[in-house]
Amino acid sequence: MSIDKNDVILEIKDLKKHFAPHQSLAQTLTGKNRKVVKAVDGISFAIRRGEIFGLIGESGSGKTTTGKLVMKLIDPTSGTIEFNGEDVTKTDKERTKAYRRQVQMIFQDPYASMNPRFKIKDVLEEPLIIHKIPGGHVEHEEMIVKALTEVKLNPPEEFMGRYPHMLSGGQRQRVATARTLILNPLMLVADEPVSMIDLSTRAEILHMMKDVQRDLGLTYLYITHDLSTARYFTDRIAVMYLGRIVEMGDADDVIDHPLHPYTKALIDAVPEPETGKVDVIKELPISGEIPSPANIPPGCRFHTRCPYAKPECSAEAEPELIDVGNGHYQACRRYKEI
Amino acid sequence: MSMKDFTYRLGEFWADFRKETSGLIGLGILALCVVVVLAEPLFLPYSDVNGNWRNISYWEDNPQAAPPAWTNLFAKEKSATTSRYKSPVVTDEDDPEFGAVRVYTFKYGYKFDKAPLDIILRAKGTGMLFMNISIERPDGESVFLGQVYQDGLDGDPIRFAVETDARSAVYEFIRNFASDEAISNSDSSNVKPTDIIFSKAGENMLSAREPLKGEYLVRIKIPASILEDGTNTIEDLRLLVTGRVSGVLGTDTAKRDLYSGIIAGLKWALFIGLVTSVISVLVGVMYGIICAYFGGLTDTLMSFVFEVFVSMPMLPILIVLSAIFKPSIWIIIGSMIVFYWVGPVKTVRSMALQIKEETYIEAAKALGSGKWRIIFKHMAPLLLPYSFANMALSVPGAIVAESSLSLLGLGDPSIITWGQILHDAQLSGATLNGLWWWIVPPGLFIALMGMTFAFLGFAMDKILHPKLRTR
Ligand SMILES: Nc1ncnc2c1ncn2[C@@H]1O[C@H](COP(=O)(O)OP(=O)(O)OP(=O)(O)O)[C@@H](O)[C@H]1O
Ligand SMILES: [Mg+2]
Repeated sequence: MSIDKNDVILEIKDLKKHFAPHQSLAQTLTGKNRKVVKAVDGISFAIRRGEIFGLIGESGSGKTTTGKLVMKLIDPTSGTIEFNGEDVTKTDKERTKAYRRQVQMIFQDPYASMNPRFKIKDVLEEPLIIHKIPGGHVEHEEMIVKALTEVKLNPPEEFMGRYPHMLSGGQRQRVATARTLILNPLMLVADEPVSMIDLSTRAEILHMMKDVQRDLGLTYLYITHDLSTARYFTDRIAVMYLGRIVEMGDADDVIDHPLHPYTKALIDAVPEPETGKVDVIKELPISGEIPSPANIPPGCRFHTRCPYAKPECSAEAEPELIDVGNGHYQACRRYKEI
Repeated sequence: MSMKDFTYRLGEFWADFRKETSGLIGLGILALCVVVVLAEPLFLPYSDVNGNWRNISYWEDNPQAAPPAWTNLFAKEKSATTSRYKSPVVTDEDDPEFGAVRVYTFKYGYKFDKAPLDIILRAKGTGMLFMNISIERPDGESVFLGQVYQDGLDGDPIRFAVETDARSAVYEFIRNFASDEAISNSDSSNVKPTDIIFSKAGENMLSAREPLKGEYLVRIKIPASILEDGTNTIEDLRLLVTGRVSGVLGTDTAKRDLYSGIIAGLKWALFIGLVTSVISVLVGVMYGIICAYFGGLTDTLMSFVFEVFVSMPMLPILIVLSAIFKPSIWIIIGSMIVFYWVGPVKTVRSMALQIKEETYIEAAKALGSGKWRIIFKHMAPLLLPYSFANMALSVPGAIVAESSLSLLGLGDPSIITWGQILHDAQLSGATLNGLWWWIVPPGLFIALMGMTFAFLGFAMDKILHPKLRTR
């Protein structure tokens, strides 16, 4: 299944983000460069119009950094971002602002993503003011009520006068969603929108987000470390490890038939639903911690933790993501043997 | 922030503030100061002090360098206080010397140990006037003080002061009692006429005076013929007995009432302190936020400029500036701002650096918000409370700096400030002459004002600073 060019809303090519550590003058002069943090190290993917694309990986794999790159909150070190066929990697102030009207973001921490001194009404009116949406307070209020209804915060009037701290995490994430919807965006970047929410309400929020996505025909870049929600929620997923994508394909395909050892490990870690202990997070069945992105292992960057690693994995060049058919990509040179 | 929101936060602030005793004391004193400034005329014994502080004739009826009236409470020998009399008793009499006369009589009860400094008679006259002025003492003796003859008056003021106009006449009175020898032994220029008038008569009334207490009558005789004319009139006849002690805070060597000066200086102290601190803190807070938010080269450059200003010594430069420009309150305030704005920069910058990393700032950016909206809507409101505390804390500095400038003679001559009062005291050698009431009160008030705002500032700082925790 190849992707039709016209179908693509967002395409990322060989995107890199290397954080240069702050250096003192002395360090620069003595040449004692501290290592750059390669948070995102050459990733490419395309998101189709109207799909939910999941980005999955352990903590520190560079998911948030990718989300911020897509949001243009940080500038990439190299690579390009195309939105609707237009290169938006480098844009002027006006174009950036227009871009942000079309692409919106829901942040991981619903407690921190709203100014605690703003009422919900002010939180939701902010995008309208920023983008000079015509209409006075009355018209704006109508839009706010509509957005709050969309995310099923009922009755909307009751929530408008409250402060964020008077809301539960789930309610806040609904408000955060409403805030992104109010500008009628084409695409949402949702960075672990439910990871900080009470377990009991996670499903509800994801349901709501899915409903919204269907109602409005939105495209999501859904960032998560939680494979179990990914299967239910996403159409396609990309698995990230240490700044690289190691496997990508249809969600069901990847989860049912993982090819890369890292994906396999991730899937083994997902607790069985039957046990009823959903919140038990199993240890990854692989050894060690994720290495530091400032010190990426040579060769295949996963070899230090890979149970199938052979000498060639560290000695030879890093394997590229290869198409194994059916739109399923993976980056292990030994995937056939294991 | 809506109005309701604001009152809610204010209420919250007040609930905390009430627990700070020093803050409440500061607030109380400040409230009192505001009341005094608003109702200034009620507190000013000399209501025109504001335009006349440097007008010598406005103060001419006051005693010179007189201590405050309440010093009598602690003195063994009581000094005469100032008293004023307005409506004399008018009688028509037959005078052996002038025939029919109209007599205006003022009654003055003298019950002190130290005689008044002066007796001053004032009136307004028209046409031609002749007055014979004398004083009748409780012992029955009458002291002739002098005569006033003026022609061509047209509502002009008439002033007769015993101290200057009755010297020779009073010496004549001494001759009736003291021997020629005693008179020639004493240095007549050393003896005040009022000392003689209010002393018991006797041989040695020059060398060892004893106060003669009782009722004195000041009598002004005007021949009836003059007044019958119709074109000659005398109006608004007033008597002023100038005390040896005066007012709440005494007088200076230019006879100015120091209490009036202090009260009139209060509003300037508040004005200078508040304007300087509010403007400089606002500038400093904005500067700090901009440094932190823009970061990079902007931050480096702005921090450099900041360091330059921090390391400049304020007073020497202010002195040079006021010497170049004509000292005016605006120049003084303006140049103080140039030095004071650096105060909050460092703290604000570090606080803003923290706020800048908040997710909601990033969220606002993701919504498309521009730099200035983030600065003004998201960052500045959080730093505002801190800046209030900072404003209060920088008021004392501004007041003291203005006083220092004034003390150096570089103040604005068109206003009254406590520093200028101190400066005048210093020029006249008040310390050497023991005129403590000229030095202590303005100094004390400068300190009190500083303390008030320091109390307020500390209390506000304590309450508002931890509120920087944002959730
Ligand atoms: N501004 C930055 N400067 C330096 N290093 C950074 C910066 N932002 C992120 N990193 C580093 O980049 C790596 C990837 O971070 P990122 O936040 O993208 O991970 P993540 O996959 O979102 O993890 P999590 O699941 O914990 O959110 C981390 O090692 C992080 O320390
Ligand atoms: Mg993250």
